[in-house]
Amino acid sequence: MFLRIVRESFARTPRRKVLTAAALALGMAVATGTLSVVLDVGDRLALEFRSLGANLLVTPQADTLPLEIGGVDYRPVDAGSYLPETELGKLKTIFWRNNIIGFAPFLEVPVEAQTSRTPAEASAARSGLQATLLGTWYKHAVALPDGATFATGVAKTHPWWRVDGRWFADGAAECVVGAALAHRVGIKPGDTVDVRAGSDSSVATRRSATLQVVGILSTGGPEDEVLVAPLEVAQKLAGRPGSFRRLLVSALTKPEEEFARRDPDKMSPAEYDRWFCTPYISSIAHQVQLVLPGVEARPIRRVAEGEGHILTRLSALMWLMTLAALVAAALAVGATSATTVIERRAEVGLMKALGAGNGLVGAFFLAEQALLALAGGVAGYALGLGLAQLLGRSVFGVPPTQRLILLPVILALAVLVALAGSLVPLRRAARYEPAPVLRGE
Amino acid sequence: MFWRVLWKLFRASRGRLGVALLALGSGAAVCSALINLQLDAERKLTREFRALGANVIVSPLREARAAGNESPPLMSESVYRRIGALRSARVVAVAPYLYLVARSPVVNAAEQRVIVGGTMLDEVRRMASWWKIEGQWVEAREHTPRCLVGRNAARQLGVKPGSTLELRFADRSEVFTVAGVVIAGGTEDNQVFVNLPRAQELAGLEGRIGLVQLSVSGSPFELEAFTSRLATALPGFEVRPVRQLAEAEGHLLGRIRVLILSAVILILALTTLCVLATMAALAMERRRDVGLMKALGGSMSRVFRLFLTEAGSLGVLGGLLGYVVGILLSEWMGRRVFGVGVTPRLEVLPLTVALMVGVALAGALPLRLLGRVRPAVILRGE
Repeated sequence: MFLRIVRESFARTPRRKVLTAAALALGMAVATGTLSVVLDVGDRLALEFRSLGANLLVTPQADTLPLEIGGVDYRPVDAGSYLPETELGKLKTIFWRNNIIGFAPFLEVPVEAQTSRTPAEASAARSGLQATLLGTWYKHAVALPDGATFATGVAKTHPWWRVDGRWFADGAAECVVGAALAHRVGIKPGDTVDVRAGSDSSVATRRSATLQVVGILSTGGPEDEVLVAPLEVAQKLAGRPGSFRRLLVSALTKPEEEFARRDPDKMSPAEYDRWFCTPYISSIAHQVQLVLPGVEARPIRRVAEGEGHILTRLSALMWLMTLAALVAAALAVGATSATTVIERRAEVGLMKALGAGNGLVGAFFLAEQALLALAGGVAGYALGLGLAQLLGRSVFGVPPTQRLILLPVILALAVLVALAGSLVPLRRAARYEPAPVLRGE
Repeated sequence: MFWRVLWKLFRASRGRLGVALLALGSGAAVCSALINLQLDAERKLTREFRALGANVIVSPLREARAAGNESPPLMSESVYRRIGALRSARVVAVAPYLYLVARSPVVNAAEQRVIVGGTMLDEVRRMASWWKIEGQWVEAREHTPRCLVGRNAARQLGVKPGSTLELRFADRSEVFTVAGVVIAGGTEDNQVFVNLPRAQELAGLEGRIGLVQLSVSGSPFELEAFTSRLATALPGFEVRPVRQLAEAEGHLLGRIRVLILSAVILILALTTLCVLATMAALAMERRRDVGLMKALGGSMSRVFRLFLTEAGSLGVLGGLLGYVVGILLSEWMGRRVFGVGVTPRLEVLPLTVALMVGVALAGALPLRLLGRVRPAVILRGE
């Protein structure tokens, strides 16, 4: 009997039911959409922060003090230690290998440069321009131990570097010139630069190369003053084949909390495992040190700390906004449910007149609302996936991952909110006297 | 007469209108909270971005660098004072720098070359919030014999907080006490920081500085305006924003703006939906009233005006209530997210009320159905 009444109710007034379910579905679609986006927001924002560039600095463990001002090392080539390039593939074998977005090795060589535009008297005196040549990768294919290759370089670690012209080809005798230097000396793309490295005294140690200028580099930083060439060229000039001085790594990390700041040596084994298996910047640095012997990997605190700081705030903001959208969705659904109950006062009156108790009337209405909520919830989830795509694309340019786990959450939410919304008018309905309601008052 | 009828209408269906008002009020609350937060959040977030350090650098012009014989090129300290004159609340910190390569004697080894940065350590403290110090900061900018030493430099020079450090340049020499060791994970780890006057004395370059770093908060637009103002005030010097930070900041702020905007639109849509549902039910209920009004000679336009005024006043009421709740909400959200309250903004009030009136009027669309009511049919009781 109970089920029959419910069924009849749906069959008799399908249009109104569809309307209510549609309202429920829309509310739940918004809930699904915002929830899917916010669940992804941490990862997405962390990725956005990689536009700040590298957050990990790898240097030789036993090194002399770098004479570095604003990112350029002024030490002579024969001072300090170097790291081997061949080991770099191992970076993609650490536990958090997929979090390594990119890395770029650097080798600075002090050079004497002479351009095709150098005035005749200067070239007659054989005195070139003192400059620094920075060897690195732009997009270099690194062979990984598992046979695959990974393309990385400053394109990944310094995304704000711009080149007017084009970047040098990997390993070619080409270079790009920092904007400030180019402006001062008057170098243009298409010129050639002769660079010489090594001491003047012994001809044997002198090395030189002729490089084609293919672009003008603007970085907004000290690199505007240097020549940037492929790492191989710098290694030849320095007489240090296969080695580099500094490695910058850009990794996706989780903001550090209290736990992450503790000394890993003093953690219990269980805590150490937890620390090791969380992509904190400190644990990634630790893992890098494990695979590359003789190096010291340190978080660049300016980037890492600032990022963690802002990221924590931002995700709090996102969650609060989602909460607000959820509350609005819940209110809309609740209000719709309340309206459908108010609308049917006459029915309540009739049922009561025919002898139904308040409990039965309530159960009937609640069952109906729950069914509607389920239908609306499923439709809303489907619709919400579309909305999430739209939102994700417009905000981050990438659609969020679809999570099936959201479906039960959304259904439960829909039922709960619909029931809560109907309860208030139902309580009022319980107080109705059948006679006046049926008279139409 | 008009108002009396309106009043009666309100009283007759207060349940329904209550639901609509609740929907409008809560929608208004959330919207005004978000808009208020959005206006403030950008300002707050740009302040948070200052955790990333200096974002504007003033240095000698490139041409001057080419012509000058000094290496590295330097400028007069008066530049720093001229920047100081332009200082506003937006400028978090301004620090001049003079770098020199000094030598330091190491026990049982050759002299170690190290980069010494002369600056104002109290300004640096505000700028470089990511520096971790073992020991103490140097709080003063005066002529003090205390210095900060980078972590690597401290290891190479064999010093720790409390020990003394001798720095030599040309034939001059100065002795400092190490106040603290800096852990920064960058170039700073290899350098020694002293206060500017001492560095100038050591280098024999009184009144000269190499560059000035500024940490300026504000949206990318405001920053651009500030840099161009600074550039016109300092002809002959190069004023350049640090692009690494400017780009990342612009990206993120854009993302957040879109996100908040889409949340506001979604919530408005939900509120409209809710009002629409309520009003549709109200229209059904009011068929009799309308029938009676028409039978008594009320024109349809008059009846509509009545209903639209009703919806409009609901919107105004909902907007006002929502604004008050929304301000409290945004205050709470601000405290949760940024740790400081959000300044309530009065310009959000008219915006919220206007939005809500719009939503209420849009939600009142179903009342148009009433135009089709035939008085005779209704009054017969069908």
